[in-house]
Amino acid sequence: MHFLYFDPGLGAMIVQAVVAAVAGVVLFSKGLMYKIKTLLGFSKNQEEEMFDDIEIKDQDTENKQ
Amino acid sequence: MVDNSKHASSFRDPSGYIFTEEGVIKRAIFPIYFKQYEALTTSGFFDSLFINKLLIPHSEKSKTGDKIVIQPDHIPFISYPYEWSFNMYKEAALLTLKLQKYSLEKGFSLKDATAFNIAFHEGKAIFIDTLSFDFYQENSPWRAYKQFITHFLGPLVLAHYHGAQSLKLMSNFIDGIPIKMLASMLPFKTKMNPFLYSNIHLLAKFEDKHNEDYKGESKASALSKKGQLNIIQSLYDYIKKLSLKEHSEWGNYYDKTNYSTDAFVEKSAIINSWITNLNTKTLIDVGGNDGTFVRKITTDLQQALVCDIDNNAVDFNYKAIRENKESFITPFVLDVLNPSAAIGFQNKERDSFINRMKDFTPDVTLALAVIHHMSLSGNVTFEMSAQFFASFSKHLVIEFPKRNDSWVQRLLSSKVDFKDYFDWYSLENFETAYAIYFEVIEKKSIANSERVMYLLKPKDVK
Repeated sequence: MHFLYFDPGLGAMIVQAVVAAVAGVVLFSKGLMYKIKTLLGFSKNQEEEMFDDIEIKDQDTENKQ
Repeated sequence: MVDNSKHASSFRDPSGYIFTEEGVIKRAIFPIYFKQYEALTTSGFFDSLFINKLLIPHSEKSKTGDKIVIQPDHIPFISYPYEWSFNMYKEAALLTLKLQKYSLEKGFSLKDATAFNIAFHEGKAIFIDTLSFDFYQENSPWRAYKQFITHFLGPLVLAHYHGAQSLKLMSNFIDGIPIKMLASMLPFKTKMNPFLYSNIHLLAKFEDKHNEDYKGESKASALSKKGQLNIIQSLYDYIKKLSLKEHSEWGNYYDKTNYSTDAFVEKSAIINSWITNLNTKTLIDVGGNDGTFVRKITTDLQQALVCDIDNNAVDFNYKAIRENKESFITPFVLDVLNPSAAIGFQNKERDSFINRMKDFTPDVTLALAVIHHMSLSGNVTFEMSAQFFASFSKHLVIEFPKRNDSWVQRLLSSKVDFKDYFDWYSLENFETAYAIYFEVIEKKSIANSERVMYLLKPKDVK
């Protein structure tokens, strides 16, 4: 069940199909370029980045206090 | 329970509300959200986010058939999106996306994505709206997508093209930058970028087209989970790489001041001894630049708020906090001449700077190299600034640069014909005006400089 306490915007709900398609193409082509660069040995060493990856590690029960 | 203790910003989401009980912030959950709450608790979802320090931890205080009460960890000071530096804003945006991706993987989804769901605590961004997680409905688009764009992507892209000052727009648009206005403010070339075109320009077009559909004739199209994950991932990648175009000028600030190394050392030694003698635990450094002086304090502080008018200085401070993994400093952007106002419904949803300061009541207020800017750039009289500092400080450490100080001279000469008006800028007038609101505990001149340090304690005057 959804609590419709704010308007999500109908246009925003519809447009996401297009946005997702564009995102799919962008992600695919970036991934492809990365593979090609790595194959050709162009890939530069990853600089130290300020923010990490999107992944969140699952709860590790052994490390739990 | 007394219902008027309910927090003024907690009325939109019917799942529950925030209230204060004997000074402690708690959250009540209604039966409408019990299923979600149970699922999030028993599946280990909450625990996982607590361990990763992404969601503010809470403990369950009571549980009845019609209400569950939880108590989240205390956050000493909440800063708002319009007070964040560029990279703080980025971290908040990335955190929201991280949480949405993790939620989708676990069968949940964020039902809202407002920037006000994020606070900065112990040196990093943390999500504070525990009730924002709902069950994911198979093949449904992200309900909070538009909110994410208007609260996060929009302000960040504006900051990229027009400077970090753009982030202040959020103080007027409490529910995000209007999408049509956002699209119109971006340069034409952003239409050539597939990512920006689809996420901003096309979104604005679709919203415009469908906003008069009062009969609900159009239907939201389906979106696979994979599709939604693609949106989230591409937003994450784009925002992670986003940077400011403007060049920061804070960097050589301490070179530009007329401080010799000795005077600099002496100044921080004076501050240090006063701070230690007062057994200081909490402080605010008004005009703290990149936090240089706060880092020179040797006493263990619980919480130091460091603010500055310059978004870049705050950003540099924030980067240092991340690098050094410091948990006691909370940086934010503050213009002392125009501190954040109280905004939202009945002017109560987001509190003013002054009110938040009164709640925080720092042991010490530091005002180093600030008074000449307030007086000479802002035309604020000594009596006015004294009244301002007295309104929230238990102790005030203030530095007064005398008339002959080169920085003061610089500010004065920029006034050209108006220069004579500032004849009142003198040590004697400063002392007389501040004596109305404060008693002097100690006064020390810094050798080889035109600067004097004061340790003041407010008198009981209103």
